Amino acid sequence: MNFDLDDDQRDIAAGARDFFRGSASPAAARAGLEGGRPEPGRAALSDIGFLGITVPESAGGAGRTLLDLAVVAEQGGAVLAAPSLVTPARAAVLLAGEPELAAGLADGSTSFAVLDGSPDGSAPSVDAADATTFLALDGEDLVVGAGEVVPGRPLDATRGLASVRLTSRRVLATGAGELWARARQVGAVVMAAEDLGGADRCVQLGVAYAQEREAFGRRIGSYQAVKHLLVDAWVGVEQLRSLVWWAAWAADANPGELPLAAAAAKACAAAVYEQAAGTLVQVHGGIGFTWEHDAHLFWRRAKVDRLLLGDEAEHLDAVARLAVAGALGT
Amino acid sequence: MDFDDSPDEAAYRARVRELLERHASELVRLRPGQEAVDPRTSEAELRRTQRVLADAGLVGVAWPAEFGGQGGTLMQQAIVSQELARAGVPALINHIGIGMCGPTVIAHGSQDQRERYLTRLLRADDVWCQLFSEPASGSDLAALRTTAVRDGDDWVVNGQKVWTTLAHVADLGILLTRTDPDRPKHAGLTMFVVDMHAPGVTVRPLRQMGGQSDFNEVFFDDVRIPDSERLGEPGEGWRVALTTLMNERVAIGGAGGTIGLPVEAFVQHARERLPGLDPERQVLARQAVGRAVVAALGARYSGYRRLTALSQGGLPGPEASAGKLAGTEAARLVADAGVRLLGDDAVYAATGEGDDRWQRTQSWIPGIAIAGGTDQVLRNIIGERVLGLPPEPRSDKTVPFSGGRR
Repeated sequence: MNFDLDDDQRDIAAGARDFFRGSASPAAARAGLEGGRPEPGRAALSDIGFLGITVPESAGGAGRTLLDLAVVAEQGGAVLAAPSLVTPARAAVLLAGEPELAAGLADGSTSFAVLDGSPDGSAPSVDAADATTFLALDGEDLVVGAGEVVPGRPLDATRGLASVRLTSRRVLATGAGELWARARQVGAVVMAAEDLGGADRCVQLGVAYAQEREAFGRRIGSYQAVKHLLVDAWVGVEQLRSLVWWAAWAADANPGELPLAAAAAKACAAAVYEQAAGTLVQVHGGIGFTWEHDAHLFWRRAKVDRLLLGDEAEHLDAVARLAVAGALGT
Repeated sequence: MDFDDSPDEAAYRARVRELLERHASELVRLRPGQEAVDPRTSEAELRRTQRVLADAGLVGVAWPAEFGGQGGTLMQQAIVSQELARAGVPALINHIGIGMCGPTVIAHGSQDQRERYLTRLLRADDVWCQLFSEPASGSDLAALRTTAVRDGDDWVVNGQKVWTTLAHVADLGILLTRTDPDRPKHAGLTMFVVDMHAPGVTVRPLRQMGGQSDFNEVFFDDVRIPDSERLGEPGEGWRVALTTLMNERVAIGGAGGTIGLPVEAFVQHARERLPGLDPERQVLARQAVGRAVVAALGARYSGYRRLTALSQGGLPGPEASAGKLAGTEAARLVADAGVRLLGDDAVYAATGEGDDRWQRTQSWIPGIAIAGGTDQVLRNIIGERVLGLPPEPRSDKTVPFSGGRR
């Protein structure tokens, strides 16, 4: 057994960290709430190859594993990057039999979104707001088409949420229910990885502030009431990291474990990110409640992500059902 | 990343299984639904079990060969632990010795002490206990008051220890004492190996809130310990104790082990009990089951990460405290969901057929949250040593122990 990233994955993570820190930021997420554009945006993500990480090499992608993608997604989550890598990960699964469409995904020439809910009026779906080509499940058919996009008023502008009604549709595959479910599980793992990056960043920012800020004559991080909040958030982040890595690994190396592992990771992500972002605001006190401070941008992401691709309750239920049905090998 | 055995690990596992089968008739086994065997009633069988395993090379797997171990890897140790659990072999009677006392002797003992003690420890010829906590110093261990006073070639010990697991069957213990009350509290401590059969040592059982008696209070009345049984230098006892405590946190859930009931046993329970609940209750119960399974898997896989780091040469650090903290929370959720799955019988925490496993499991949880570092002490350790947050002000840290509080 060896449960750690390898050198290659550590290099990928370091490269992704440099890229995202240079091209996205909480400030851009704040600007997004006031009409600004998402950063780094689809074009920059396709230029650096992040839209095709799990697309096969034969279709112009990198042909790498979901774990490789997850370590990149974590770095994007740390700076609230948009659009999400959930969409390319999920679309790459759905387009496994469609090399031409997959090539358009990888090179950024087609702006995909994957729709949740009915193609005749979808639920708010990730990065649908600026997409032009939509993948949806129509009954048991996987379909692709154009659509009419209705954005909502965003709580977190970085998620690009919009409802879509397909105005054209072409069937890519019939009997696609299982493929669709697997793609959604992969998407849940990638969102959990982005949430891991965001939650980890919240703990770092909270710790840094608690090391400096003084109250009642000493630094607030020395008070157990503050210290233990941050520790609990950090312990949560460490549990989440383990579940995200395990789930991402399982997607390629042990697919039978993916449904349970993905549900566990997503349920954990919902709780851990909310806790970490809430802690970040609380540790900053009144400063953390201001528009100018970054804390609310992580908090917004946490409040939105916990509901996307299934909320905590849905995934806890899935974990229980799958475990009882024998998914842990018992 | 790979959760399967490497070829070497698979071969080792096969050999372990073969050895366990060969010695099956000589080993104590747990009955179905039984989690532990009480040393009070089965001491001889438990000692024999460990001796058989030690002679087969399955105890002290990762200890250096020069100290009686197998010179193997921590991954091999983890494999042995998994296979022992799979075979239904209960915890080794000398688990305190193997997990905490032995590593302390290895790190701080004289060559003579290592030779006299370590092989016998691994074979359970001597069972060990850890004499640290006192009635007035649990979390604040360095405030302990048991004294050791030099008298010729001996030290004379007086005082009381408490919450001492296995003291009632132990032959030896590591004993933390105050030898210089005029120095600050951490600087006046000295560690010894004490003979639990020596005149003046009195062991009295304590009954825990769940009704069992796993631990004891131990009284020392003019107990003489030869100076040759000192572990480390006089005044260096705190440093020696830190070795013990660090190993303790790795031993308790730090590296892939489970605190409390294994998630597989919990899932089996859920499988049996869920269909018997009202449909509305099933929905709620699945939430509790899912939450417990997620917590248990998070703790398990985080333990695998620490095990990987340790087996690649990392040292047990303060991060291991997170394993105990998360493992305790998972055990709490598992115990609570396990009880709730009993339906109307949840108020008895036992089934109508008399299975009271969940009562024991539930009533054990508050103890785990205290033993080996309370949840709150562990949070302080993580906050200060892992996250780098400022320490709590400690007004007694630099003043002489005697002047500070007596």
